[in-house]
Amino acid sequence: MITLGSGLTDSQGHRKLSPVSPLLSAASVLPAIIGFAFAISVPSGFNFTQYFPALRPFVAAVLVIGLASLALSILVALFQILGWRAFSFWVDQDGDLRVRSGVLIRNERRVQLSRIQAVDVVQPLIARIFSMAVLVVEVAGQKDSRVTFRFLSLTDATEIRQTLLNLAAGTKTESAETDSPILFRLPSRDLALGLLLRTSTVLLFSATISILIFSYLTEGWAGITFALVTGGVPFLIVIIEFITYYGFTVYDSPDGLRLRYGLLKTENRTVPEGRVQAIDFIEPLLWRRHSWTRVTINIAGVGSSSQGSSGKNKETLLLPVATRSLAETIVFRVLPNIDLTGIDWKVAPNRAVKRSPIQLRNLAMGWGPNSFAARRGRITRHLTVIPHARTQSVHMTQGPWERALNLASLHVDTTPGPVSVVALHLDADEVREALYGQVGRVYQGGGI
Amino acid sequence: MNTDSAFYSNDDWVPVSEKLISARRLVVVLAAIPVIGIVIALWLIPPVPNLIAWIVGAVGLVSFIWLWWLIGRRVRSYAYCERESDLLVTSGILFRRLVIVPYGRMQLVDVTAGPIDRAFGVTTVQIHTAAATTDAAIPGLVPEIAAAVRDRLAKRGESRAAGL
Repeated sequence: MITLGSGLTDSQGHRKLSPVSPLLSAASVLPAIIGFAFAISVPSGFNFTQYFPALRPFVAAVLVIGLASLALSILVALFQILGWRAFSFWVDQDGDLRVRSGVLIRNERRVQLSRIQAVDVVQPLIARIFSMAVLVVEVAGQKDSRVTFRFLSLTDATEIRQTLLNLAAGTKTESAETDSPILFRLPSRDLALGLLLRTSTVLLFSATISILIFSYLTEGWAGITFALVTGGVPFLIVIIEFITYYGFTVYDSPDGLRLRYGLLKTENRTVPEGRVQAIDFIEPLLWRRHSWTRVTINIAGVGSSSQGSSGKNKETLLLPVATRSLAETIVFRVLPNIDLTGIDWKVAPNRAVKRSPIQLRNLAMGWGPNSFAARRGRITRHLTVIPHARTQSVHMTQGPWERALNLASLHVDTTPGPVSVVALHLDADEVREALYGQVGRVYQGGGI
Repeated sequence: MNTDSAFYSNDDWVPVSEKLISARRLVVVLAAIPVIGIVIALWLIPPVPNLIAWIVGAVGLVSFIWLWWLIGRRVRSYAYCERESDLLVTSGILFRRLVIVPYGRMQLVDVTAGPIDRAFGVTTVQIHTAAATTDAAIPGLVPEIAAAVRDRLAKRGESRAAGL
């Protein structure tokens, strides 16, 4: 039988989680419990001094809330111990991962290793203090497709991750992966500046400033609450994204690119080679001076449908901020054959100014032997690239206004994700020619 | 079937069955029933001036006639064309659309028919790829033709299987 990691095992030889996990789980809910206790007791005018008459009200309040929260989290810990006792996992004879869990309702999951999409080691703040980690196994499938191992020691989690990845890849040999070369490390200054200079942030901040000036001049301070929203929300978003992507580092590893980032919670993500379907280089107006770009990708299986939560966004982000040339180097690592230079761009005709006066100068499409590219957007520029071998289908559309100007749009369909490859408002005959040409190129340009 | 040069090549385009027009018009007729009910109710309820009933009725009648005419044109705009290595589907009058799906990228072919469609003997063949935006549906095929198309597509898809 294949051994997973080096941690605790039970009598059947099945792996257990780390014995301190119940304590860690209880500790990680402690802040929430304290917040809750505070929120229900203080506003309702709860009399804390009735328990400790000798103390001052503030000290009494801290003591009561502290004790109550402690008692509650001990209760949580006790439940967690039951859960810990019931939780075990192992690799069965067929080479599949089995996970047994549940106190009242026993549950045994069988994870086909060939269907594993990603194995990530995540370190939330509380776990990091004790050098523990959470292992997350992502499986192909729509619903309930992840198995979480909360908590393992960091070395144990890394070992299990490696074993599972090796098993999934069909190679049962050990391969060192700790010393993967670093391709890129994002300086915090660039990240902060990049987030601040994003078009939406700048617009909202300038709106805030104009509201403040207007309020000051007219002495009508009613606009202040509005300024709080327009100023506060982007500020919060910038802070959150800064914390999320802090120390963004890209490693080269045998199974693709490894991304590692996060201040409070370290995320470890692998972008597998050959699973990237389409790329979008996004360049907001104020990033152009630094020739910076943000790169998002579509990955097969990581569909971000209409409900696209923030978690999905993180999974489809390849680089938050990087210079264009560096971004291209990194993209070439996962999509080696795409064409970015020497493309013969077909630009929108001048009459398209009547359809989209602002975007006009950046509307274009082009292709090389291996990939199709489309440009759009003026204030925030998009350059989207899709390998011919990844093209699912192509379609052209023409609205009434486009028809009057003899224009049409070409869409190259890719798997669900944030990137959509579309060449807008180009000459209808050129689009038609490109449409039929593109579908012919789908079968060529393999080898990715 | 319209013949706009930008959307048609010289291939053999197959229009869909005209029965689809009747099926879709029936849906409009069914939708008109509650509207007629509302107009009658407005007419009969004393405090409502009859003018309102007239206006609602007129708007209903105009949209009915417009939809009746539009359905005819829209259904005639559907056409498909099976080429050697890909399938072409076109649709739309105001917003036109032409989809090309390479057989090798097809993941599954659905044949569906609702109760009204069944009553009129038409079915829809929907082609799915790994992309959600593909949207290649051929409505209004006679069931035998739909089954034949499905089988042909499935066979061609298998022989050209590639994809992800």
